[in-house]
Amino acid sequence: MTQAVAIQPISNVRRPGWRGWGLFAPMLAWLALFVVAPTAILLVYSFFTGEGIGEVDTHFTLQNYQRIFTPVYLDLFWRSIVYAGATTILCALIGYPVAWYIGRAPASRRGKLLMLVMIPFMTSFLIRTYAWLIILHEHGLLNGFLEAAHLIPTVFSHPLNILYTPTAVMIALVYTYLPFMILPIYTSVEKLDPSLIEAAADLGAGRTRSFFRVILPLTWPGVAAGILMVFVPAIAMFAVTKIMSGGHIRLIGDEIQEQFEGGGDLPFGSALGMALLILFLVTYWISAGRGAKELRGA
Amino acid sequence: MAHPLPSGNSLARLFLPAWTIAVLVFLYLPIVLLVVYSFNNVPTNMDLSAHWHGFTLRWYRAMWADRTLMGSVQNTLIIASAVTVVSIVLGTGAAWLMHRFVFPAAGGLQTLILLPMIIPEIIMGVSLMLLFRAIGLNRGYLTVIIAHVTFCFPFVMAAVQARLAGIDPALEEAALDLGATPIRAFFSVIVPYLMPAIVAGGLLAFTLSIDEFMVTYFTYDASSMTLPILIYSEARTGLKLTLNAVSTLFIAGTILLVLAMELLRSRR
Amino acid sequence: MKHLHLGLIVAMILSLAGCHRSSQKQQQRLHLFAWSEYVPQEVIDGFTKQTGIPVDYEVYDSNEKMLTKLLSSPGHYDLIQPSEYMVEHLIKRGLLEPVDQSAIPNVGNLLPEYRNPEYDPGMKYSVPYMAGTVGIVYNSDKIKDPIRGYQDVFQPKYAGRIIVLDDNREIVSWALDVKGIDINDVSPANLAKVKPLLADWLKLIKIFNSDDPKPQLFSGDVDLSVVYCGDAAKLIEQDKKFRYVLPAEGAHRFIDNLCIPKDAPDKQAAEAFINYILRPEVSKIISDKFPYTNPNGAARKLLTPQQLANPASYPPESVHLEIFHDIGKANADISQLMTELRNGR
Repeated sequence: MTQAVAIQPISNVRRPGWRGWGLFAPMLAWLALFVVAPTAILLVYSFFTGEGIGEVDTHFTLQNYQRIFTPVYLDLFWRSIVYAGATTILCALIGYPVAWYIGRAPASRRGKLLMLVMIPFMTSFLIRTYAWLIILHEHGLLNGFLEAAHLIPTVFSHPLNILYTPTAVMIALVYTYLPFMILPIYTSVEKLDPSLIEAAADLGAGRTRSFFRVILPLTWPGVAAGILMVFVPAIAMFAVTKIMSGGHIRLIGDEIQEQFEGGGDLPFGSALGMALLILFLVTYWISAGRGAKELRGA
Repeated sequence: MAHPLPSGNSLARLFLPAWTIAVLVFLYLPIVLLVVYSFNNVPTNMDLSAHWHGFTLRWYRAMWADRTLMGSVQNTLIIASAVTVVSIVLGTGAAWLMHRFVFPAAGGLQTLILLPMIIPEIIMGVSLMLLFRAIGLNRGYLTVIIAHVTFCFPFVMAAVQARLAGIDPALEEAALDLGATPIRAFFSVIVPYLMPAIVAGGLLAFTLSIDEFMVTYFTYDASSMTLPILIYSEARTGLKLTLNAVSTLFIAGTILLVLAMELLRSRR
Repeated sequence: MKHLHLGLIVAMILSLAGCHRSSQKQQQRLHLFAWSEYVPQEVIDGFTKQTGIPVDYEVYDSNEKMLTKLLSSPGHYDLIQPSEYMVEHLIKRGLLEPVDQSAIPNVGNLLPEYRNPEYDPGMKYSVPYMAGTVGIVYNSDKIKDPIRGYQDVFQPKYAGRIIVLDDNREIVSWALDVKGIDINDVSPANLAKVKPLLADWLKLIKIFNSDDPKPQLFSGDVDLSVVYCGDAAKLIEQDKKFRYVLPAEGAHRFIDNLCIPKDAPDKQAAEAFINYILRPEVSKIISDKFPYTNPNGAARKLLTPQQLANPASYPPESVHLEIFHDIGKANADISQLMTELRNGR
């Protein structure tokens, strides 16, 4: 089994010539047009003022950003971070053992197990969320099951009231993002060289030690990727939180949507969006940086 | 074959499979419910309690008769297929070029390409809507496909890049030595090597596209309405079991596809 | 070879599509942009059958969403369906095309009280589609005390049993009604006056839901609500234990209208559609499916006595009803206030 890092022959590290740039040009054009341009438009709008639905005062002003730094919106950002963070941690804790199990399963079974994890993804997230309404409802599946198993009068004094609480929101969030955590960790686990772990054991490391000192650092790129793919979209989540909490828990994603469509203040919505974007970039650079550090240190 | 865990512990060996099964049960609970409900003869769409009212196929019949629904399914599949193909081309091409050549500010380019993966969908949707309005492009199939590709192709690129990180440099050299042009070498040697990553990335792109609501909402028009848009506007007013029927068929279709691929793969 | 399989699958899917895209070139086509769950498919199909004009039906679920998309799609939509205050706003901004009444002879079917609305005198730019009220629905099996108005609903003893519209302006208007303030006088001073009341109310509400409060009411999650009359009417149709009450402190009516945006590509098709839905038998279909208040007198003659007796659809004449007016920038003040109150827990 060849190792991953090979010595790069000099011919491989090449300056792009005409052909290189020529082939790359469509990519750059795409980026410029559909990534840079829209973001720039958003940035520009964020300095305008909303004058009512769809009307905009185009004088440069920082008042949207000033408004973000008021307790109301800072709380909103904080709450979104907390929910996203909790979701990420739970997904990592719940998903890691699953990713480990699938990654170390015999090759023939791996693909099937992965597909098993992915299949629920083939349905609309909205429909799956509504299914949770029926499950967690007072007269729903969960309580029905608990009653049928006679757990309700005995262990629980009355039907569980989970729906419309933060617990319901967390259940739905973890449910939505679990596969996003399992897949990247799996790719790291799959590439793991079992002889490294055996070597650690031979050198006297106990199971806990070998996990934290050997396995975790080696699989960290996968975990970091998983954190990025869960934390980042979770902050901007909309709809799911509103449905599961009965409209009580609103996150930044809901608020941005409200500003763009309901409240009609496009510039303020853009400012919120830019703030979110900056938050993301910071998270990305931190996690990418730490991932690289772990690799160098291991 | 040596067991990866040192000094096998029966508790640990039980834990992992048990945990995985528990997680799978958690993942499939809503799925099983929605499939079962697609056959449930519920008399009113206001009832959220979990009751079985008898077996029926009426939701499937209603689904089949609903032209808007079927049209949106068609649109969704067409768009997702187009998005997957374009994403694969762009993603594989970008990954290969960044691997083959050293472009100036490669790190910055990398971040830029990954940006759409990171940007929340509503922001992408609205800013693309503003852009299309600014350049005078009407909303429709093209705008939806462009919007989807923009955040899907980074996934393909990431998958291919990961695979390229482990490539044996001698591979390409060997192809060139045997007299092939760089393009021929690319298609007959590199691409087959990259195929698992291309398939994985493409699968992810397809899956993301068929469930994409927010970005689509700002870039579609009536003739390109997709299933997620329909679901968003209909699923919110009570139970709509025709949607359960559609979802069940999607799941069934996926399972069939997977089985078919397994069969073809084992045949080799 | 794996890429062969992928290609095969892609080809199969694409072939399922057929020649879907080609159909929309030269012929007439109606671009309808309306509320979701408000125009029955039967009506749309009937129109197409009658006139041969196919209909593209895009949906929205708020007037503001409609305007945002309308502004970014000039020359795209033929018909929109704004509520009364939005019609005012659109007229002010010159975004509507006058409706040629001679092209819609069926407009004579409308009841006289709808023919000269305050927001659009003489129906120059709009034609009423459906009207309604926002009121109180409660489950009389579970609620035994009399419910006459907002203050009866928002009592501490009903905490956790209430569902309301997830609409900030609505909720604020109820508080204004209780304080005896004009619901369109949304000044910062008035907002400050109702703030404490709103703060108290919000603590009692279990669910905010504008999409569909019916499942929660029907399933017993909540017992009291302030919702659209159409939803109330449907609940009453299902089960007579639900009662509808127009709040004593004050209630408002809404009127949704069909309007033609400026630069509509096909004004004729738009007017043909308006004329079509004004037919009594077509209007009846809409009423059957969405039991709001039908402004079409000829259609009302076709409704069953039960439908006409439904107090949610056809409230007693005696109650005085206001309507929302365009309040412009004050919307942002409401949004700010409610965000503060709803997030500061």
